[in-house]
Amino acid sequence: MQTFARLGMTLAACALSGAAARAADIAPEVARSAQQLAATTCANCHGAGGRSTAPTFPNLAAQTAPYLQAQLHAFRDQTRADPDALAYMWGMASQLSDQTIEAISAYYAAQPAPKAKAGDAKLMAQGKLIFEEGVAAQGIPACATCHGPQARGNAIFPRLAGQHADYLVKQMLVIQSALRAAPVMHGVIKDLPQVQMRAVAIYLESLGS
Amino acid sequence: MNRMAPKCTSYKRLAAHAAVIAICLYVSAARAVPSFARQTGMACAACHTVFPELTPFGREFKLNGYVIDNLKQIKGVTMERRETMSLNSLPPLSVMLQVSYTHTAVALPDSAVSGALAKDGEVLFPQQASFFYAGKIADNLGAFMQLTYNGAADHFGFDNTDVRYARYLSLEGEGQDSGSAGAALSKHSLLYGFTLNNNPTVQDPWNTTPAWGFPYSGSSVAPSPNASAKIDSGGGGIGQNAAGLGAYIWLDHALYAELSAYSAAKTGGAHPLDSTQGAVMHGLAPYWRLGYESRWERHSLFVGTYGIVAGIHPGNGLALRGPVDRYTDTAGDVQYQFIGDQHLLTVLATYIHENQRLDSSFANGLASNATDTLNTSKATVEYSYQRMIGGALGAFSTTGSADALLYPSGGVSGHSDGSPASRGYIAEVNFLPWLNTKLQLQYVGYSKFNGAVSNYSGIERNASGNNTLYLLLWVNY
Repeated sequence: MQTFARLGMTLAACALSGAAARAADIAPEVARSAQQLAATTCANCHGAGGRSTAPTFPNLAAQTAPYLQAQLHAFRDQTRADPDALAYMWGMASQLSDQTIEAISAYYAAQPAPKAKAGDAKLMAQGKLIFEEGVAAQGIPACATCHGPQARGNAIFPRLAGQHADYLVKQMLVIQSALRAAPVMHGVIKDLPQVQMRAVAIYLESLGS
Repeated sequence: MNRMAPKCTSYKRLAAHAAVIAICLYVSAARAVPSFARQTGMACAACHTVFPELTPFGREFKLNGYVIDNLKQIKGVTMERRETMSLNSLPPLSVMLQVSYTHTAVALPDSAVSGALAKDGEVLFPQQASFFYAGKIADNLGAFMQLTYNGAADHFGFDNTDVRYARYLSLEGEGQDSGSAGAALSKHSLLYGFTLNNNPTVQDPWNTTPAWGFPYSGSSVAPSPNASAKIDSGGGGIGQNAAGLGAYIWLDHALYAELSAYSAAKTGGAHPLDSTQGAVMHGLAPYWRLGYESRWERHSLFVGTYGIVAGIHPGNGLALRGPVDRYTDTAGDVQYQFIGDQHLLTVLATYIHENQRLDSSFANGLASNATDTLNTSKATVEYSYQRMIGGALGAFSTTGSADALLYPSGGVSGHSDGSPASRGYIAEVNFLPWLNTKLQLQYVGYSKFNGAVSNYSGIERNASGNNTLYLLLWVNY
């Protein structure tokens, strides 16, 4: 498991061309400051410990640190431009330093995962099939290939397990329409119908830690 | 009775004038300011469903003291690393402009020529223009301050103001290492704060209380019901005639509790305050607020109570000493919000019961009864599609004990049979081409006005004669 995590960190370092987020490398005062920021500011939308209530705001708890870092950089650099990113995160991330981004990502990565939420059984079954096997007829590969068999993420590939279904569908829609720049994911889901997005999202929300 | 007659007539005239002045000065407290957006870097939609109504994050922003900011800071620091200054690189300034058109079903009587009618259909440019300092002052200290020009009154003055200090109290659990990035936070969060403001409920983050309640804007020239609870009287009551200091807590983003105390703080007129002033608060008036908000998925539900106990000298020729009129307002409120990506729905309701112990007014022939009651009910449903097109439907009702001296007849603002009762509805359609610009069409219909359905106040004017069509352009920058 440690090797796996280290491999993930290395991959993230390559992808980000920057330092990997390792809690042990973060100065205690920076970590404390990031934790304070999370509790007093981020928590207003993302909830205590990154477990949010409203599906407008994603769960951040147990998310992979490299993915969180990449997103915070994208918000700060204004390269992620879907409507909610503009409305909320461009401002919130605008003054974050690299150090803070690293520390806050590590903080959320270490939080207990959000609770799973079961949805419609039929939809969950459909979603599970898509997640694990893809949709061969449409040339859509299995999501598990990148996001891991339990959807817990892998370095730069985000954790999806336990994420709000509404949020996941919205992200797939903005990636599909290229409002949110994610070239690899765009290629994967460009032909995925919304009903199948909903099914896979319902399944993912039902996955626990 | 004969002995009282001249005084009564004089008071009737005074009350009528006061009512007209109150109508002219009355401006719905309805503000939303882009300086907050500039400070946070977040769009209006983060804090507002449709301005000025707040979202859960908007409430958090307010309770946090208006200080969440994402601007470059100008800082001062001591050798011990203590921050001595943290200023936004841009001052949090905003401008608001309201331009309106008002049409009443029946034209109002001319104010000077007996039997003549005033011009019907009035454009106010501006109805109101405001300047704001709204945002962070220093770490943990922020303000919402408003200076307003009122077009109908041709008056420029200090408007709603709320200065607050807020910070989180650390509630770390056992065995948690707060120095580690991986440390789990406590299960509880406690925000505490202090507010210094000039209008009870202006500090409140829910849209059920009077200062920020529906309707968010209304005509400043059309007649409106005369009787209202002291806490619900806007600029004509305690609001903006008081200064209050309060402390509050916000536990787990759910439980809110506040205790404040207000003192008279009138602007204009004689100072030190004396008998030439009207409605001067006596001593300190305690204000309370308690409520619980539950949030789940896209929904939030708040249930709360608020109120004030205020002693008031009638003034207006009576010395500010001796017995006072004591008003006890006890209110309950409920707010429900659904905030979807496309559809937004809000339900607001409040009920205010006011006990009036009129020791001074009764002794001085201003009230027929030693005690009176007044009950106010308001309920509103609002809907918006994509924060662009929407509307609202609200109902209101005021009932209470009849008091011929307190609620005299005569003129458009007079009453029938000393009754304070009014009821009606407000229907609105809104269009927001941009998030900071609102076009609003509002219709206010009365089924009872100041005590009667027809021929109220004995002036052969029906309640429905005051039905008002109101068109508003509301711009914030």
